[in-house]
Amino acid sequence: MTKSSSKSARGRSVLLPGDKLADDLKAGSGTFRRDGEAHAAVLGFPNDSSGYVNVHPVAGRYSPRVGDKVIAVCVETGPSLWRMNIGAFQNSMLHHSETDWKVDFGDTASFIGIGDAVLAEVYMVDGSGSHQVTLKKDDCRKLYAGTIVYIPPPRVSRVIGKQGSMIKLLRERTNCRIQVGQNGLVWVDGEPDQIARAQKAIETISREATSSGLTEKIEKLLE
Amino acid sequence: MAGGNSDIEFIKKGKRLDGRKPDELREVRIEAGVLNRADGSCYLEWGNNKVYAGVFGPIECHPRHKQQQDRAIVQARYTMAPFSVNDRKRPGYDRRSSEISYITSQALERVVMVELFPRAAIRVDMQVVEAHAGTRCAALTAASVALADAGIPMRDIIPSCAAGKVSDTVVLDLNKEEDNYGQADLPLAIVPSTGEVVLLQLDGHLTPDEFEQAFDLAYKGCMDLYDIQRAALANRYGGSA
Repeated sequence: MTKSSSKSARGRSVLLPGDKLADDLKAGSGTFRRDGEAHAAVLGFPNDSSGYVNVHPVAGRYSPRVGDKVIAVCVETGPSLWRMNIGAFQNSMLHHSETDWKVDFGDTASFIGIGDAVLAEVYMVDGSGSHQVTLKKDDCRKLYAGTIVYIPPPRVSRVIGKQGSMIKLLRERTNCRIQVGQNGLVWVDGEPDQIARAQKAIETISREATSSGLTEKIEKLLE
Repeated sequence: MAGGNSDIEFIKKGKRLDGRKPDELREVRIEAGVLNRADGSCYLEWGNNKVYAGVFGPIECHPRHKQQQDRAIVQARYTMAPFSVNDRKRPGYDRRSSEISYITSQALERVVMVELFPRAAIRVDMQVVEAHAGTRCAALTAASVALADAGIPMRDIIPSCAAGKVSDTVVLDLNKEEDNYGQADLPLAIVPSTGEVVLLQLDGHLTPDEFEQAFDLAYKGCMDLYDIQRAALANRYGGSA
């Protein structure tokens, strides 16, 4: 055990993989146990909640959770289902029975073609990492027109802001329709010049996610 | 290649040809998060070595016959740029780079929590831009920083460093001349928190005593590198390791 990795980590200092965590808490997400002790598994910041210590990663790909609203892009069509890319380590399945359309066998491509995007909800994740999405939930639909902007999933919460303050600001100032997927894909539709402004603002939020006073900065940018 | 006999005097008055002491590392500089397109990345300068590492993943594993049903695989790929060496190197993959890619994948799979991502692949691409001996250690050191930067769950960060023998003296971190005309080269990679050895190779000849000495020296070099790796990652997010 080295000097640097043996210190107990708490507070807001960044944790590195292998760092030992506080002894009196149970190991939560982003952690692992070795010799009965909890250690950080990812590069991130610690967060204690209800007796568990979690490490929130600062980077990384999307890991699907049931109930997440995501923007999914079709990568493959089958006779009765679509394979959708939601940015996770496996493609997600969208079965025709999980839509409101009457899809004939083999006719999936006339509803969602390769490259088409939908706003979907993750409704099943199993132990082997397979997952399925559905369009039979509130707001879920095929997305026509617009642009998709990618941001790293750990920064999604900054784009939404506290109680949706940031996303509200973006919508008001650009007059665009914006849907933020938990998987880091953001769909923006509106006037072309306004889409460009919104895109620039979203990219700025993503780039400066760890800095303070972000709302004021974005307000100024969108004046 | 190490293991040859040479009449070069590598150590004069306790100093090596480049002015280092026998147990001194070359200067190392590591920067994390240097590439925008990759999920995680690292740039490393180690003496005159210059290496970039980029990580993509976890992503779907292709070709599919390489998928493992219960875990992810680490697909490391080590390549040297044609301009990285004195005589232009023929670009692309060769026997040496496929060997280094393989041992790097094996080493990294020991620390990456591959069981969390069944059937997936984690791609690690290492590009040696300038080579001056010890590039496999440099590439592995950079790759593990890039993996941590990509937010991939890991048990620890791997440092890697070589020791060797020149002019009948065991020395740390061989440079180009020492590697080419020295007597032995012993690259080592470890998991610092557990002391596990994840890479150990030997080119040349060492007596059992010299081996012990070289191993201890390389181990110490790895621990010094570990601190530099940690500082590079912490710096990126305004903290200190």
